[in-house]
Amino acid sequence: MSRAILLTRPEHDDTTHYLSNWSIEFIDLAEKRNFNVYDLKGKKAIRKQVEGHLSSNPSLVIFNGHGDVNVICGYLNEPLIILGKNEGYLKSKIVYARSCKSAEELGRKSQALAYIGYKEDFIFFYEPKKITKPLTDETAKMFLEPTNKLVTSLIKGNTVAESQKRSRELYIRTIKGILSSETSNENTSLVKYIWWNLKNQTVIGSENAKVED
Amino acid sequence: MVSQEEIKDLVIARLEMLPDDKKISIGQREFTKEEIIEHVKKGDLIGKMMIDIELGFLRDMKEGFVLNE
Repeated sequence: MSRAILLTRPEHDDTTHYLSNWSIEFIDLAEKRNFNVYDLKGKKAIRKQVEGHLSSNPSLVIFNGHGDVNVICGYLNEPLIILGKNEGYLKSKIVYARSCKSAEELGRKSQALAYIGYKEDFIFFYEPKKITKPLTDETAKMFLEPTNKLVTSLIKGNTVAESQKRSRELYIRTIKGILSSETSNENTSLVKYIWWNLKNQTVIGSENAKVED
Repeated sequence: MVSQEEIKDLVIARLEMLPDDKKISIGQREFTKEEIIEHVKKGDLIGKMMIDIELGFLRDMKEGFVLNE
């Protein structure tokens, strides 16, 4: 296994544009910690590129994009990993899929060392007026910051279980912060969707795995 | 016994409280508040998911999940 991270961040719609921008935090961290980062951004987030880089055995693989129970997609929703076709590329790797529904079927059958994903649709709210500066979007932050916590914790060398724990703690702090706040009533109506992501963020495989193993 | 129509109305009433100036990303699409409400009215997959979220959250809050963690 090489000290490398592979990530996909297609940018063909609002959702993937947001996920891509919110990945910059952990790309920077990974580079600071001397990981080779294979950053498949935009049109590079295609199956051929993904399979090629997975062959070099990166220790951590992060998918940003749309997905379903048996598929993870890339640029223009091209299927990158398809259950029954090429899920073997994930074997022995730590995988985080920030996409919908892929945990139960694809995650369970992929033979990844550990697979972190979502059992149902991953949801987030955002402010369209912030579309050119997604990192300043305080609404999206409530949803995406806890997911970034998972990845930054993995990059820092924590186990999958510890990283999931830290991510969950941030979800819960976010929810409690909104519910105890006297400020925005609007945010209170969003809490249930943060809770939904928390409930559906799942670890399959080795909880003791570490990226630097 | 609460009917499906009453549940639907309850969920729509709660969705009306969502902010107007935000969009929601679900699956392969982004939706406005009005579009989400339309899906609930139609009772399609997105609409059913909205109902699941609403009822599941209320149930978990009642049982102390989150606030007691």
